[in-house]
Amino acid sequence: MPPRSSPSSRVDLLQGTLDLLILRTLSSGPAHGLAIAKHIQRTSEDLLQVETGSLYPALHRLEARGWIAAAWELSDKGKRARFYRLTPLGRRRLSAERSKWEALARAVTLVLNPAD
Amino acid sequence: MSFLRTLGWLTRRSAKNAELRDELRFHLEQDEDDLREHGAPGDEARRTARRGLGNLARVEEDTRAAWGWGGLEQFGRDVKYGLRQIRRHGALSAIAIATLALGIGGVAAMFSAVETVLLRPLPYADADRLVMIWLDMAKTDVTTKHNATPAEWLEWRRRNTVFSDLATSQPTDGVLSGDGGPEQVPARKVSWTFWSVLGTSPMIGRAFTEAEDLENVRVAVISHGLWQRRFGGSPDIVGRTIAINDEPYQVIGVMPPGFYFLPARDIDLWMPASFPPWMRTNFSWHNAQVVARLAPGVTLEQAQQSMSALSLELTAKDERGPHSVTIVPLRDEIAGRTRTALILLLCASAAVLLIACVNLANLLLSRGATRGQEVAVRTALGASRARLVAQLLTESLVLAACGTLAGLLLALPVMRFLERLIPEAMSPARLALNWRVLAFAACAGGAAVLAFGLAPALGASRRPPQLGLRDGRRAIGPRSHWLRYSLIVVETALAVVLLTCGGLLLQTFQHLRQTDIGFQSERLLTFETPLFRYKDFDRRVAFVEAEVEKVRTIPGVVGAAAINLIPFTNFASATFYQLEGQPQHSVPTQVALVRNVTRDYFTTVGARMVEGRFFETTDRRASMPVAIINEPMARRHFGDQSALGHRFKFGELGDEGYLYTIVGVVRQIPETGVLDDAKPVVYRVFEQCDQIGDTKAALVVRTAVEPASIVPAVRQAIWSLDSNQPLARIQTMEDIIERQLSTPSQSSALLGAFAVLALLLASLGIYGVLSHAVAQRTNEIGVRMALGATSGRILLFFGSRGLMLTLAGLSIGLGLAAIAARWMTTLLYGFGPDYAATAGVVSAVLVTVAALACLVPARRAAHINPVAALRSD
Repeated sequence: MPPRSSPSSRVDLLQGTLDLLILRTLSSGPAHGLAIAKHIQRTSEDLLQVETGSLYPALHRLEARGWIAAAWELSDKGKRARFYRLTPLGRRRLSAERSKWEALARAVTLVLNPAD
Repeated sequence: MSFLRTLGWLTRRSAKNAELRDELRFHLEQDEDDLREHGAPGDEARRTARRGLGNLARVEEDTRAAWGWGGLEQFGRDVKYGLRQIRRHGALSAIAIATLALGIGGVAAMFSAVETVLLRPLPYADADRLVMIWLDMAKTDVTTKHNATPAEWLEWRRRNTVFSDLATSQPTDGVLSGDGGPEQVPARKVSWTFWSVLGTSPMIGRAFTEAEDLENVRVAVISHGLWQRRFGGSPDIVGRTIAINDEPYQVIGVMPPGFYFLPARDIDLWMPASFPPWMRTNFSWHNAQVVARLAPGVTLEQAQQSMSALSLELTAKDERGPHSVTIVPLRDEIAGRTRTALILLLCASAAVLLIACVNLANLLLSRGATRGQEVAVRTALGASRARLVAQLLTESLVLAACGTLAGLLLALPVMRFLERLIPEAMSPARLALNWRVLAFAACAGGAAVLAFGLAPALGASRRPPQLGLRDGRRAIGPRSHWLRYSLIVVETALAVVLLTCGGLLLQTFQHLRQTDIGFQSERLLTFETPLFRYKDFDRRVAFVEAEVEKVRTIPGVVGAAAINLIPFTNFASATFYQLEGQPQHSVPTQVALVRNVTRDYFTTVGARMVEGRFFETTDRRASMPVAIINEPMARRHFGDQSALGHRFKFGELGDEGYLYTIVGVVRQIPETGVLDDAKPVVYRVFEQCDQIGDTKAALVVRTAVEPASIVPAVRQAIWSLDSNQPLARIQTMEDIIERQLSTPSQSSALLGAFAVLALLLASLGIYGVLSHAVAQRTNEIGVRMALGATSGRILLFFGSRGLMLTLAGLSIGLGLAAIAARWMTTLLYGFGPDYAATAGVVSAVLVTVAALACLVPARRAAHINPVAALRSD
């Protein structure tokens, strides 16, 4: 059983960052909601834990914007699950968001570590 | 796109919800399975997974919010809230909805009439390019528009540069016999160009050709109605020969249903005009009504200028003076005076709607003030201003939607009433709630929301919340007072305009009602019989005399007589005449209407003599030709002198023809219509006519019983003389007059109704605003009274405030009404109502009503108990 991290060790997600993470996760292939959440959690070494209460609104919001598309398919365990996948629009969005995020991260890092 | 998607999702709302639940269930089960796989015991796994998911309902709700229905759902909630508000404030809402329903109902009904008469496409191709051309013969006695002559029409066709083509037409009647009984139907003789000018053609068969017109071939095009009614819609109608006026005509075409043309009735037959050769070069037979199509790119003004010049050139040598032409768009010709009436009434109904909106705005402003607390709480809880305005506007929208629906229900009976306003040329058009009217009502409702909802919504949302929280009831600034006061001035001014215009129209109508028609119209039955069946003059005269004699023997009949044209028939065919002893012209310049009658005509209709005598049995074909003229003609030539003994003749003095001696002068009978100016009229007896002339005779029958009850006996009597004789246009004289007065009577009744409504609403508005002011200032009044102000002073303070507003509105309104009165002159039928007196009466009525509306709240203020007022705060 994987450890469930305590709330205090979690990093709160910046507004809009969850969208970026979801888009990035889906860029490597279709996945259902739980898989997306687990993927983010795993790759962030449990630092980021996606709340279901934020995940599904985000997924549906992205779907409504046409960045991702959803379809009911069978999961590897043979159950019907709603799989999300990146749309071409979403792919463009991802690269845009990504460069924005990287610019921001660089800027914040620069401020935190002034080169004086 | 995203809006469409949102809309698409909305329709699958429950499916989407089920899908979301499935998705979340999968999440839960999968998580549980995963945990179990990693060794968690069953119960533990379920609990952990459940905890991981969090509040399921909350997740669902948040996710649904992401679907983008937020705005719509919010709107739905606001609508529900609005409906709840309506229920909670029952009486207030009922007043608001009723007020709005009156406003919208009136404006929707009026618009349906405007739509039918002025906007609905006419049954011709590109109808906006069609015009009528009338002669403008100012130099002759007749200043009204005149028909052109066939010769002029031909010259115009040849030489004009502004029309694609011109056509003539003239009204006539056709008697159908053969299959079925004899029947007289309205017909029209038209030139072969008629069809191409109107851009229309028969739905079956064809129209006639130039050759058929010129060679006077007996061909006819019939109406769809006649085809169905008389020929049972028989498919082989084209090519069939039918009897029209006892002549064989070949039917060559059937017009589509809904096709109509002037004059003021349905036409069933179209026949070739076939002007005889002598008429084609004669410039004094004004029997060609000309309709023309403007050439591409030519404006009405250009056509008017070009045609005036051409006409002046063509008639330069005419002794009656060169004359110009007047070009009128066909649409205006058909709509006639109704056009002004309809626009006036639409404006009036819009004014009523505006007043209704003003009242509602005031009502909502008052309610907005009392809702200060609610607004303040919402603002304090974080509602944005936009959100508050949206909510308050939605409430207005709900109110307006209810009002609009109620208004449409109200519009239906009003529309039935308005159908009587449709010009005769277009009847039997029916007013209907078609998409245009519904769209208009929706727009009116929407405009109403903005008009009455926006100001209160903005006002209520602008106030700083602490003000509302501290004292919800009295949180209203001085700005809003000014807003309300100016609204009161606006609605008072509008009411004054409506009242004044209504008063003017009512006076005109009263005047028309009381116009001396010169005879007694009660219990007078009239009908027409065609005379063309009798080829020679003597047989025509004999038949007319025989039918009069026969009808006179019917029980219940007091008297009977014949005339060629019944009074009020709108048929203004005039003839040139010259008086003996007047300066000679090679052509006569004066025109009179000519009426041929049987000798008993004047006594039968109860005409009144001014001087001389009526016709007598001694006035026969062989005796001296005599004439009776009407008072306007006598006054014109002889002033105060006697007209008796003077002689005149029709046509030129050197011509063949009778010289008529004037033996009597009668009080004017409005031959062409109640609404027309006095025209000279000559009456002579049938026997003394100098040509075959008349193709029909109208009988007037004075009865002692209800006129309609003797119709079968009359029909039997006529058929006993000639079984092929149709009786046409059977109607009572009172019906004829009633129809003449229908436009002025309907429009003055409607305008009166709108004006009274406006007055009521305006006084309600004044009352409402003052009451509110008193309620708001109860505390202040209490202080003033405690400090020694007398109740008289308080009464004066509020009373004078109301009256000041009224007077401001009154003066603005009277100014506007003077402008409106000038614009509506065509509806006043040349009768100049007393504007000053009307304005005086309106002012008196308004001030009285407004004073009453002021008095009640002012008295309430004056009787406030200062102690109670101070304590209440």
